[in-house]
Amino acid sequence: MSIIEVKNLNKKFKIKEKEKGIRGSIKSIIKPEYRTVSAVNDISFTVQQGEILAFIGPNGAGKSTTIKMLTGILYPSGGEIMVNGINPSKERKKLAYKIGTVFGQKEQLWTHLTPYDNFKFFGAIYDVPDNEIENRIQELKETFELQEFINTPVRNLSLGQRIRCEIVASLIHKPEILFLDEPTIGLDPVVKENIRKLIKKMNKELGTTIFLTSHDVGDIEKLCKRVIIVNKGKIIMDDTMSNLKYHYLDRKIVEVKLKEKVALNNEEGINIIKEKANGLKIEIDSKKKTIADVIKMLDTDKIIDMNISNIPLEDIITSIYKGAKVEVF
Amino acid sequence: MKKYLYIYKATLVENLNYITNILLGFINFFVMMFVFLNLWEYIYSDNTQVINGYTMQQMIWYVLITEVLWFGSRNKILTQEISQDIKTGNIAYNINKPYNYVLYIVSKHLGEITIKLIMFIMVGIIIGVSFVGPIQNFNIMNVPFILLTVIFGVIINSILRIAISIISFWIEDSTPFHWVYDKMILVIGTLFPIEMFPEFIRPIIKCTPIFVVTYGPAKLIIDFSMKSFMNIFIAQILYLVISISIVSILYNKGVKKLNVNGG
Amino acid sequence: MLMEVKNQIKVMFLSLKYNIMRQMTNKVTFITNIVFMILNNASFIIQWIILFSLKNEIGGYTIKEVILLWGMAASVFGLSRILFNKAFELSELIINGKLDTFLVQPKNVFLSVISSETKISAIGDLIYGYICLLLYGITIKNVILFTFFTAIGAVILTSFVSIMGSLSFWIVKGDIIADSLSNIMINFATYPGNIFKGIVKILLYTIIPVGVSNYMTVDIILNFNLVNFFYIVIFAIVILLLAFYIFNRGLKRYSSSNLMNSRI
Repeated sequence: MSIIEVKNLNKKFKIKEKEKGIRGSIKSIIKPEYRTVSAVNDISFTVQQGEILAFIGPNGAGKSTTIKMLTGILYPSGGEIMVNGINPSKERKKLAYKIGTVFGQKEQLWTHLTPYDNFKFFGAIYDVPDNEIENRIQELKETFELQEFINTPVRNLSLGQRIRCEIVASLIHKPEILFLDEPTIGLDPVVKENIRKLIKKMNKELGTTIFLTSHDVGDIEKLCKRVIIVNKGKIIMDDTMSNLKYHYLDRKIVEVKLKEKVALNNEEGINIIKEKANGLKIEIDSKKKTIADVIKMLDTDKIIDMNISNIPLEDIITSIYKGAKVEVF
Repeated sequence: MKKYLYIYKATLVENLNYITNILLGFINFFVMMFVFLNLWEYIYSDNTQVINGYTMQQMIWYVLITEVLWFGSRNKILTQEISQDIKTGNIAYNINKPYNYVLYIVSKHLGEITIKLIMFIMVGIIIGVSFVGPIQNFNIMNVPFILLTVIFGVIINSILRIAISIISFWIEDSTPFHWVYDKMILVIGTLFPIEMFPEFIRPIIKCTPIFVVTYGPAKLIIDFSMKSFMNIFIAQILYLVISISIVSILYNKGVKKLNVNGG
Repeated sequence: MLMEVKNQIKVMFLSLKYNIMRQMTNKVTFITNIVFMILNNASFIIQWIILFSLKNEIGGYTIKEVILLWGMAASVFGLSRILFNKAFELSELIINGKLDTFLVQPKNVFLSVISSETKISAIGDLIYGYICLLLYGITIKNVILFTFFTAIGAVILTSFVSIMGSLSFWIVKGDIIADSLSNIMINFATYPGNIFKGIVKILLYTIIPVGVSNYMTVDIILNFNLVNFFYIVIFAIVILLLAFYIFNRGLKRYSSSNLMNSRI
């Protein structure tokens, strides 16, 4: 069952243009000039219930604008949105009970209060009855292991604990869908890992559908089964994670250390990336040349050490952003 | 000195961009002036011609001038920005830079208010002339002396403000102390001249910053005499010396405290 | 509907409680803020003592009535800023796209926004208001009327500044205009209404309703008048509804906006 349906969604912004200097200022007051920018340009997709979806793209690609339209903050310039059967721009309040939002850069918690008090406040906002709220907090506390710091003021928590509380706070009303806008921004690797576990757990145990935007490839790789990549307001890819990887897995990076220098020509399917004294770094298109072929070309007796690896996901995504075929370095 | 002049000029040019904001700021000034005009008209409404030596025309001009000085030289840099710098520890970064923080603030402040103050003075003159007519016995020859006291008044005001803001080194929020200063100037220093107070209070008020910041320049504009100029000017120089010493002592102590506590 | 109102009020009070708790974490700042605000207000007594030494009455008021007028102005302003401080900063929130957080909550956006912050020094204003009432003279009737009109005045003032703030949905430099007009309301509140004449006086009882929230209310405490009493109450209801209406109209524009750079 699809929980989010987006059809031909559009959002256009007008941006005021201003020339430099005083003359420019005066001119922009008297006769302002505008330029129209399509922040979101005719995108369509669906999200299934219980899915973890990564919605990624470079800065200014239209990620946040899309999230804002899905949550009812912004109205679309065109197209249709249905979130949990609700049209966000028509029934904002009704939708609010069904969704949770965490914006990594914006804090919603009261920093001088304990997480416990904060949860109670959010409970009141979402009309959770008083007799239920205690149970709910208890439940969340145990599921997400907040026992240690549930009674410590938020300002005394570490950044990681804080983000954990931010996310848990957005679950107080049992939302069907959670929108996470860069939840791991600015966190260290250990904490990132923690947050990812939490998100996974939430998805598994509570069945929450998760709509995630991130710049962090790790988030995407470890959490999501499906990825939508947007750039310049358009969807440039909508595929499963395994397809994404598989598609680019026929390319391998081979690094070899040799006893002496071996001359290797650029042939079809082989691309020499780096050549240094007795070392070589080659990209191989395994559809055109097998690894065995290449090793033979190198003369096996001379090989001291060898390393074969896949192209890192980060590079794959970067090149998709750029709209080019994947080429490393 | 050259770098401070540069800061002054840069801020001044930057502020040319905000002329619309200044113009909109006049709304408030008009309203306050309107209230005071009505108030004094009411007080002078019976056949009273002169109150404590002031005609209604002089009274209105007095209020107008002090309010121009007040509105024209208000600036968040002196109040919020310094406190913010201290609270957030930003000041620690400024200490390492090759300039004097206090002088930097003063140059920036003067750069920001120059245009504003000039515009307020022009608007003030227009309002005054159209409501109560030009000041009688005003002699253009006195302008240089008056200008000197106006500039000194503005500078003293900014240094006193800085002194108050620096309290943030010791107390988190210095705003309440600014209120006290605001109120002293506004209530006692702008609405009526010192002569309106009972005789025994006048010498006390003459010792407060009111005498050098608002009363002095305004008095010279509406009723100039070389004797009062000398009085006011000497008082201003005294104030300048004292307030600068206070600021540098407080600032150095505060910075030391910051270093000990590591911000 | 009733449930919704109840829940909204619950959130508003929690928000007030937490705001005050936050400020109290720094006790010195909390207390200096309140005490200095009281002193700050009290300083105006000096101004009036001087003015009354020049003339026996001003606008028909003696110092006693002026103290009551001051008290009303302070308590109205205080209550409004304790409960609805963000109404005074609405422009800034609109211009910088800060309403987003409130739009994802299932509550009335207008009420949630304006009640999301408390100004601590405003507690000093409210206390000062009652000190003035004490100086004027306390009777049961005075206390009831003063309290009632403080609440009504706060509704009028909050609605007025909200409407001014909502202008920023449409006007680019709306923040400065809103600030200025809100200041007008406050500046006029402490001077006897009778020193103003003509068109200005009409303005003060309609578009800039300081006449209704302060002059009329003080006059009723001085001399009870039923017709004026109902005029004030009805005026408060109308301007409150207008504030809701204008904010909601603006909010639609905010959400369908295609102008604000900061919101991409």
